[in-house]
Amino acid sequence: MYKDKLTYSRQLDQEELSSMDKTLKREINLARNIQSQLLNGKTPVFQGGKVSGASIPARLIGGDYYDFYPLVNGKLRIVIGDVMGKGIPAAMLMILTRGAFRSAAETTKSPAETLMSMNQALYSDLRILKSFVTLLCADWDPASSVLTYANAGHHLPLFIQAKQEKVEEVPKVKGIMIGGLPNQQYTNKSIQLSNQDTVFFYTDGIIEALNEDKEQYRLERLIQTLLLHKEKGVEEIQTSVLASVEAFTNGLAQRDDITMVVLKINDQQVEITSLNSPLMK
Amino acid sequence: MKAGENMLLTVEKEVQHRTTILKVNGLIDITTTNLLDVYLEEINGMDTVILDFSGLEFIDSTGIGAIMNAIYASEEKNFTLKLQGIDELTDELFETVGLYEILAAFQGEVI
Repeated sequence: MYKDKLTYSRQLDQEELSSMDKTLKREINLARNIQSQLLNGKTPVFQGGKVSGASIPARLIGGDYYDFYPLVNGKLRIVIGDVMGKGIPAAMLMILTRGAFRSAAETTKSPAETLMSMNQALYSDLRILKSFVTLLCADWDPASSVLTYANAGHHLPLFIQAKQEKVEEVPKVKGIMIGGLPNQQYTNKSIQLSNQDTVFFYTDGIIEALNEDKEQYRLERLIQTLLLHKEKGVEEIQTSVLASVEAFTNGLAQRDDITMVVLKINDQQVEITSLNSPLMK
Repeated sequence: MKAGENMLLTVEKEVQHRTTILKVNGLIDITTTNLLDVYLEEINGMDTVILDFSGLEFIDSTGIGAIMNAIYASEEKNFTLKLQGIDELTDELFETVGLYEILAAFQGEVI
């Protein structure tokens, strides 16, 4: 009798566990779909160039983030970011970050102001949660082809000048991570872009990808890859970088979320798209 | 597996008077940071805590989060936090995210 009860009890636990497992998987998939749809939302059409974004989470869902926000003055605000950690906790904070960006982008005049506003909005929550977000925010003005950017602890974008055989970081601008300290001021810096110039924004999942010998992909390999493919279009550049990282890691599991945004100036081009969303014209 | 060891991270603890030195060897990422957190939680009554990264092979954003926890702990438990043995790549990463500025703001010191 006792054994029967015990057996019954164990079977019930397994059933409950199985049911919980199914529920959890279903909810993770729903969360993944929500994140994917938010990440790959509508993107506006602009004259003067083309931009594309791609994000590949290391797990089912990730903590990387990119977004495009068209401003009423005709500029396009771009943001790319990396939430500390991975998986569901990072994904939850990524959604929080997205909300803060969308709200700040609406009311602030420059990338530096956007970052300042986001830090003000997120600092208390991030401090309680012992987390942080690195962000690079930039305004691209299609009319003047000027890119203005500000940095909150993120890797600087790479500037691929069409007229020169070199790829280098955009001029340095410092700023600490969102959630690091309260009341932070950030600084704007600008560069003039010319026809066929490309700017490559990225997260550390690319340069920190490890191969079998525990070597990192590193910035030098990324620069070489961009040099090799600089003549290509924005989506092809993304595909080429991903292929290069995959070849380097040689089938090893992806350790960190990988995200990139590519902006390419084309005086004749009149379109903007995101890699995973339909072209909006 | 001994206490203080993880498959990918080991932490060597040395106490000299009122100074604790935690030497980290290996990787600090999402799979290993809890080990460093355990050592930080144990710290009490110290004037100085030194995190020695001379054996560090890799650190990601979660690892930086663990150092942020150490910075917060330095304020809560009133000790000076020092970072040492940082290689060029890691130094660049800490500089980029603003870790040194945060540490300075919390009255720490980098050596």
